[in-house]
Amino acid sequence: MVYPGALKKLVDMFCRFPGVGPKTAQRLAFFLLGCPREEVVAIARAMVEAKDRLSFCPVCGSLAEDECPYCSDAGRDHHLLCIVQEPRDVLILERSGQYKGLYHVLHGALSPLDGIGPEELKLEQLVNRIRDTGIEEVIIATNPNVEGDATAGYLAGLLKPLAVMVSRIAFGLPVGGDIEYADDLTLSRALEGRREM
Amino acid sequence: MKEKLFKAEGLVLRTRVLGEADRLITLLTREEGKFEAVARGARRVKSKLAAGVDLFTHGRYTFHRGKTWPIITGQDTIERFNWFRENPDLYAYGLYFSELTDRLISGEEPCPEIFDHLLEAWSLFGEDVDRFLLSRSFELKLAHAAGYSPHLVSCINCGEHHVTAFSPRQGGMLCSRCRTADAINIDRGTLALIRRLVEAPLSQVGLLRPLSNQKKELATVSAGFLTYYLDLGEIKSRLFLKDS
Repeated sequence: MVYPGALKKLVDMFCRFPGVGPKTAQRLAFFLLGCPREEVVAIARAMVEAKDRLSFCPVCGSLAEDECPYCSDAGRDHHLLCIVQEPRDVLILERSGQYKGLYHVLHGALSPLDGIGPEELKLEQLVNRIRDTGIEEVIIATNPNVEGDATAGYLAGLLKPLAVMVSRIAFGLPVGGDIEYADDLTLSRALEGRREM
Repeated sequence: MKEKLFKAEGLVLRTRVLGEADRLITLLTREEGKFEAVARGARRVKSKLAAGVDLFTHGRYTFHRGKTWPIITGQDTIERFNWFRENPDLYAYGLYFSELTDRLISGEEPCPEIFDHLLEAWSLFGEDVDRFLLSRSFELKLAHAAGYSPHLVSCINCGEHHVTAFSPRQGGMLCSRCRTADAINIDRGTLALIRRLVEAPLSQVGLLRPLSNQKKELATVSAGFLTYYLDLGEIKSRLFLKDS
């Protein structure tokens, strides 16, 4: 297909986005072409600004602009720490509105096939943080798959000597789902984690 | 022409994120050899496939042949090897076995012998097994099943039966006259141990009691054989093994 040069460049750029193929890229490009110039400039500026102004908090590793919204919030419980795999997991937990403690982002999980071991997850930083800042309870919220579980097991062993309470986020049936379609592992974990009513 | 729908009994060797919510699964199947298949939506919380396509799962899978990869349309778990997710050290061993299998098998040729070895090894990790010996035995059996067994009975060059050293590059034993610079001296006990590890079932590995020098020689021979003769290069997960 013959595209004008600038359009081809735009489509190629959108194709770099995760989950975006040529058709979606073309649709996005035509959407932009149909927008007023000011709106296109605002979108482009927002992208550049986000790239320039956002960075990872040197303490907790979540996304921060100037100062970390979680570490600097005096209203949060500074004795409670939740360990997550990725910065986006922080946003997901925030969306629940239930958690009011601090975070620590690992930026990955143990994955020997990808060459990711404990050193790559900067766990020394985590241990020092817990030892030096009066954290009393740690919640491990890594993904409920083999990598996440193995990472959680490793963390539990690592944090044991620090005399903090360590727990793993609960597993169970998704809200709104039918028990009929639950797999055996989810069901057995849901039974293990049942609550008295 | 291959059928659009097919079934296979498989072991999940590897999973990778694909697109927004899918996973690309590397499966070793008894019937169709090794191939990659897509588990659509497997990253979603409500996915009924998610647990069945996680690493170290033995299951029965149904597929629909897609344009690029087969699509997993159904799954029944036969066995789940939970010790790999509960113990980080075992997790590293499990991944090492998967990586080795993945690297050594290149295509969709049925390889039931390798399938059975891997399945047995996954089970044995749930017992109090010598992980070092199990790993070396698995490496040698895998190489044997893939047609690359080390030549151990006589000198690989001249056929002389009195052999003293192992050459990783040539993949076999050498006599004192044919010995090359890369060859590693190994004693008769180590040679007997290697033969036993190739021949005996994986389940009998626990009966062997090698001396520490024999374990050292075995480790050198095995690492050299995998790196040079099989040309596997760097096996990332090997760096994470304890006692290797």
